[in-house]
Amino acid sequence: MEEKMTVLVTGGSGMLGYALQKVIKEKKRPGEEWIFIGSKDADLREIDETRTIFEKHMPTHVIHLAAIVGGVFKNMKNTCDILLTNQKINLNVYQVCKEIKVKKLISCLSTCVYPDKITYPITESMLHDGPPHPSNFGYSFAKRSIDAMNKCYRWQYGCPFVSVIPTSIYGPNDIFSVEDAHVIPGLINKVRMCKRANTPLVVWGTGKPLRQFIFSYDLAQLVIWAIREYDEEDNIFLSVDEKDEISIRELVEVIVEEYGFKGEVVFDDTKTDGQYKKTVSTAKLRKYLPDFKFTPIREGIRETIRWFEDNYDIART
Amino acid sequence: MRFHRFVDPKDLPNFIMDEKVTILVTGGSGMLGYALQRVVKVEKRPNEEWIFINSKDGDLRDINQTRKVIEKYMPTHVLHLASAVSGMFRNIKFNSDVLLTNQSINTNVYQVCKDIKVKKLISCLSTCIYPDNVTYPITESMLHNGAPHITSIGYSFSKRMLDVMNRCYRMQYGCNFLSVIPTNLYGPNDNFSLEDAHVIPGLIHKVHRCKKEDTPLIVWGTGKPLRQFIFSYDLAKLMIWAIREYNDEENIFFSVDEDDEISIKELVEIVVEESGFKGDVVFDETKTDGQYKKTVSTAKMRQFLPDFKFTPIREGIRETIRWFEENYETART
Repeated sequence: MEEKMTVLVTGGSGMLGYALQKVIKEKKRPGEEWIFIGSKDADLREIDETRTIFEKHMPTHVIHLAAIVGGVFKNMKNTCDILLTNQKINLNVYQVCKEIKVKKLISCLSTCVYPDKITYPITESMLHDGPPHPSNFGYSFAKRSIDAMNKCYRWQYGCPFVSVIPTSIYGPNDIFSVEDAHVIPGLINKVRMCKRANTPLVVWGTGKPLRQFIFSYDLAQLVIWAIREYDEEDNIFLSVDEKDEISIRELVEVIVEEYGFKGEVVFDDTKTDGQYKKTVSTAKLRKYLPDFKFTPIREGIRETIRWFEDNYDIART
Repeated sequence: MRFHRFVDPKDLPNFIMDEKVTILVTGGSGMLGYALQRVVKVEKRPNEEWIFINSKDGDLRDINQTRKVIEKYMPTHVLHLASAVSGMFRNIKFNSDVLLTNQSINTNVYQVCKDIKVKKLISCLSTCIYPDNVTYPITESMLHNGAPHITSIGYSFSKRMLDVMNRCYRMQYGCNFLSVIPTNLYGPNDNFSLEDAHVIPGLIHKVHRCKKEDTPLIVWGTGKPLRQFIFSYDLAKLMIWAIREYNDEENIFFSVDEDDEISIKELVEIVVEESGFKGDVVFDETKTDGQYKKTVSTAKMRQFLPDFKFTPIREGIRETIRWFEENYETART
């Protein structure tokens, strides 16, 4: 505890970076220094800039979040660029972390890069057991390459590189684009639009599918725990438990209520639902943190909506 | 009455016979490069120029050197064989070097090929990067259906990423990038090192040693497992066919048919006979065999080339042994 820990967070200005900055304000320990960098500080696609910024701060620990992310359509159209850019960033960060001998490097995968056709609940080790969904092909393989690099660097050089794997994240400072966003931010923006335009809210599908969502501030707490205390070689899922899966219909209801939307809500049954359940196992997480309490989804959504309203002008839409 | 013969564009060769074609082969000094050079000498067409480069011509891990050497020749077609020394892939300790080396070589070559708008880029995968736990015979599309063998994840993953890049470059930029997938390759100029060679070159070297030292030949396992092997000169012919005429987006296996699978025991017998080894041959059955069959489907290949004749394995091994004996001093051992 007395040993100084300098934690460098790449991608510090994204949704998770934002949450980490807020949480660490309260949870920072004496002896810890936390540094958040974004693309303005260095272009991690360039090895020299990567080296310069890392050597400037000489972190003992690195949380690597920097990546090009996209929604479904952006992912498909720019699949090659997303693959190549993320590969480049990851290669550079890993190379430099090895050179400066960091004590731990944690990068972020995502449950969405897991195989599309698989048995549920999924466990961490199933990562390579099938191809990913075609809509995020390039993105998924760039992420899966991180797992390959973790293993290769560890086996050849003993580098303590590992990944955490969140499920669908939501929270302040997300990308709220209606076309390109993920479920929760997309819905939030859509409800706002419908409220203002006084139009019915049309949701695609039956609303029956169930999903696990994690609030960004909860994820931040877990990532902080991991950088301090998670020492396993293998990856770990960070998610609410199966019993806290929520149906899309319920989710819509929560958002509609929290937004005070009084208009009509219509489920367009002609549109496909996607998979009914995509359950991720939290057995490993609960082995380590049996008592960790997640923010109830209503509260998380309320917080997210409030941020969105307060920051609409600068929010990424 | 007029009859119009409808020609499917897919059946057309991808260049007009007298249009100049420049084919650049990276990794030109490896086993397959060697075979290609020999076969091209005989099979080269008048409008083709074939250029073979290796690490001496440019370090493909460096983007500037890659660009320089490729732009020097401005190829219309590229056969990309260059990769980290294959022997190392067996060693769990070298996973990082193999992964990173191959990734940078592949990323650079693909980038430059896109920039200079090559008409076709064919890279080489390998059946050994396919999932470990899968049903047989394997077909081309099963590539990502499971994790590769974990101890060679660096090699396997970097090769699988070639397939990913093929798809991504094609989807976003319309680049004509694809891969061919040979099964176990053998032939002259292989890596014959006893520690990390593959089955055939390893056996050839071992028998050579045992013959010299007058010791019995010990082979691990029962000898029962069956495998498909492809002679490097046959693969060279198929690759030449592919660069000229294969226009499918999907990958294609190059292998002898399931009928021509050979047991390890039979293989040993051939190597022993062709080497003139007279000593004892012992199968150490306490050692594990590995999978009994790992059959690769040749349905797709046979759809295109129903009449292609492979070199019989005895002949291929004879040729390989002769090369090994004659080049022992310079061979990779």
